[in-house]
Amino acid sequence: MEGSNYTLFDLSYLDLAIGLALILIVAGLSRWQQLKLEGELVIAAARTCLQLLAVGYILKYIFTLNHPFLIILVIVVMIVVASRTVKGRQKKQTRELSYLVGFAMTVGSGISLFIATQIMLQIKPWYEPHYLIPLAGMVIGNSMNGATLAVERIDSEIEARKMEIEAYLALGATAKQAAGKCIRAAMKAAMIPTINSMMVVGIVSLPGMMTGQILSGTSPIIAFKYQIIIMYMIAFSVAVILHR
Amino acid sequence: MNNPKIELLNVQKTRNGTVILKEINLKFISGKRHILLGPSGAGKTTLLRLLNRMDDPSSGEIFYDENNIKNIPILELRRKVGMVFQIPVTFEGTVKDNLMVPYRLGVISGNADENELEKALELSGLQTEYLGRKASELSVGEKQRLNVARALLNKPEVLLLDEPTSALDSESANKLLHSVKELNEVLGLTVIMVTHQLENARLFGGKIIHIANGTVVREGEEEGFFLNSLSSNMS
Repeated sequence: MEGSNYTLFDLSYLDLAIGLALILIVAGLSRWQQLKLEGELVIAAARTCLQLLAVGYILKYIFTLNHPFLIILVIVVMIVVASRTVKGRQKKQTRELSYLVGFAMTVGSGISLFIATQIMLQIKPWYEPHYLIPLAGMVIGNSMNGATLAVERIDSEIEARKMEIEAYLALGATAKQAAGKCIRAAMKAAMIPTINSMMVVGIVSLPGMMTGQILSGTSPIIAFKYQIIIMYMIAFSVAVILHR
Repeated sequence: MNNPKIELLNVQKTRNGTVILKEINLKFISGKRHILLGPSGAGKTTLLRLLNRMDDPSSGEIFYDENNIKNIPILELRRKVGMVFQIPVTFEGTVKDNLMVPYRLGVISGNADENELEKALELSGLQTEYLGRKASELSVGEKQRLNVARALLNKPEVLLLDEPTSALDSESANKLLHSVKELNEVLGLTVIMVTHQLENARLFGGKIIHIANGTVVREGEEEGFFLNSLSSNMS
């Protein structure tokens, strides 16, 4: 690759076991410090292992089949799970919220994915899973975080401003007018992590995708271009979701 | 003269499985003062909040000018049925900024007329010099008057007051009750006030509706007689 003799070393299951040993040390520390996080930590470590292992094999299967229906199905599952996660974070859980977030994510992620894969990268075929699935995962995952923050914040804002909201409503304001300040505060709160990560990317943090590409031998220049696209996609997608 | 402005038929309200209001049948007469009197937790505020659809009943019907309130656009209903809460709410800025809120929201069309603002302030018992003062710096009593003034700008036909004097000292409370009484007499406003204080009910007069345990125990016009017989039931 680019004239270098770069080889990507595979990891054996023994290597993974060594990684797991590190988690066991953390669990030991937790027990020593009486943090009572051991149980959760072990479950989280086990889930990480099983989920990624399963996804690894599923993705391998999907990449082999290379069927557009399957690829779209994967993206739909991602959106459904993300929407349910966001809903789970709200105190007053409503089915409408889940639908609304799902719809917003479909629109936000859909537009940014379309622009990235069809206009910028012009991938062929249009559903090429090596591009579409990881990009969708990153955009939907980050959008989910943005939406979760917004939902949590709007709950607390409404609670704190309940009297003010009721005063507005009693004066004949629409629900949107009455909760205007809460909505703006929630949108800001949800956008801040995205803006922060855009501010420090490359300086404080090397994002996962860029690191992954570099590890797999891609030129850092190509990797950073991809990373720029993905960050802009995330910002756009989060913003679209918040405007629903 | 005795036209019901608001009428409740078999109204029931349940919250988390608990019955708050049961089988409420009531008429609020146009242009009259009404008091919802009863101990804390009787369901008075819950009842009041149904009248401008801050909440909806679990069952039963509510009519406004003989129209089911569910068929009246909610924003129109809330403009016609103003509400003042137990704890006054002031928005950022001056008293004038606060009075401008209904204009800013588009509830009142057109530009704010300074005369209208001054008139609303005066009707609520605040001098016009208050217009430039910071709303957050007013006393609680003044804030409550500002809330009344702000509600008046919508030119409501009905004014709901939820324990409006509970946060006020007795002098401010008396002044406020006096002003609201005048609003009823001068503007012909239908007023419905929630209170748990017999003294307020005596001062305010009008039709008294005694509510306890979510039902109407008794209602009547003969305030003196009514209150005397009531005092033994109130704790």
